[in-house]
Amino acid sequence: MTKPSALAIGLAVVAVLSARPMFSQRPFSATYDPGRQVKLQGVVTRIDWSTPNAFFFIDVRDATGTVANWAIDIGNPLELERNGSKRSTLKIGDAVTVDAVPARSEARQASAKSVVLTRTSRRLFAPAPRRAAAPAAPVPRWPDGKIRLGPPPGKTGYWGAASTQVLVDGAAAKVPMSEDGLLTNITDADKVAPFLPWSKAIFEQRQRRFLRDDPYSKCMPQGGPRQFQSANGFQFVEQKELNRILILQGGGNRNWRVIYTDARPVGSPAEAVPTYYGSSVGRWEKDTLVVESVGYNEKFWLTSGGLPHTEALKLTERFTRTDLNTLKYEVIVDDPRTYSKPWTGGWTIQWVPDQEIQEYFCEDNADFVR
Amino acid sequence: MLFAVSAFPQEGHPLTGTWTGDWGPTAAQRTHITLVMNWDGKNVTGTINPGPDAVNLGSVILDVTNWTVRIEADAKDASGKPVRISVEGKLEDLTNPHRKLSGTWMQGATKGDFRLIRD
Repeated sequence: MTKPSALAIGLAVVAVLSARPMFSQRPFSATYDPGRQVKLQGVVTRIDWSTPNAFFFIDVRDATGTVANWAIDIGNPLELERNGSKRSTLKIGDAVTVDAVPARSEARQASAKSVVLTRTSRRLFAPAPRRAAAPAAPVPRWPDGKIRLGPPPGKTGYWGAASTQVLVDGAAAKVPMSEDGLLTNITDADKVAPFLPWSKAIFEQRQRRFLRDDPYSKCMPQGGPRQFQSANGFQFVEQKELNRILILQGGGNRNWRVIYTDARPVGSPAEAVPTYYGSSVGRWEKDTLVVESVGYNEKFWLTSGGLPHTEALKLTERFTRTDLNTLKYEVIVDDPRTYSKPWTGGWTIQWVPDQEIQEYFCEDNADFVR
Repeated sequence: MLFAVSAFPQEGHPLTGTWTGDWGPTAAQRTHITLVMNWDGKNVTGTINPGPDAVNLGSVILDVTNWTVRIEADAKDASGKPVRISVEGKLEDLTNPHRKLSGTWMQGATKGDFRLIRD
């Protein structure tokens, strides 16, 4: 395998990735090494504008004249389009200069930090300036006064990005980690959650393997709380006449979950058919939807950082829409086979007004060169 | 023909599940084993060869610092005489749902090796 050479210059540690793929199905840390950087100059040979990650490919010639083809990951194409880029932004034959974070492996693959078109010196696929927050507005309500979890009447919209991609015991001090949950210092594992010895060891092992074993990266559903950190968002569909609320996932495999609001008993983990989203029963406590769920299978991680659980898992989730644009999500994780005590984490989720969720399916194209 | 092969991961306690394989004093002299283990939050419990000749596990100790496992159980031999089973093994390929457990297997005075794969 050709290593980065002449035009692929190893540079210093990268501080912050401004253009890293937001919605990659695979944890960024699993594929790329944020501790390295490469600079590549070459000619575009192919463009793959598909989810979850768009790529273009360039032929890079080194000082000896040897040509190597590199796959350049430019992130989620839906996000790129929202930022004004298009499939035709770059054309086959264009010469470009790319600053990028290379793959952890020897693969000629890198995640672009910046892409500059040689003939115009224009930067391509740059992240758009941070959008102004949607205008503040009161929480929409149904005629009976209950909060609407979806759009106001006659409008569209969905719940988009979560404020974090990790889940940490809220009682713990701030734990330094990457956006996808890779700890800066593995000795901080104890601060993430009140592990039992076996679950801490498993968590640390997943961390040491840079999260590459994440079932989600193999297109398995994001079970449990992680569904609210979903690629491409989610939406609630409240079916009041059926006493249930559906949650439709925008990413992954576009799965859906049912929360029954007919006051049925929650059930016991031992009797439930284990699933990714559990068996969920919800009730309203003033303006907060409280959902208790059991019956989870063990086929997913609670977060991208690799938090384990068992079938004994019980989640109590609290959804509070504090205004039109903000959903506060709080979850109590209660799994006595994995954690020494119940613990609480959470995040906020932003409303994406006047838009529909676009088609986005899990397609594992994050590794072109294996 | 139906194949009972599951490709789905199991991401919970690493010993939980059904393990199959064999043990024996030599490569030619092997005895089939089905080992079922379950983590209840405090202990790993389980059974060797579930069914009429089942042997309940007495103790299972997992050392998570090196992923080694010690299993003790009391069985009976063909004549009904008590016989002690002592197993020392090591988990391998931990991230694979079909992970492996192998090591030494003592049954009474007979010592051999064993190899198990999680179904």
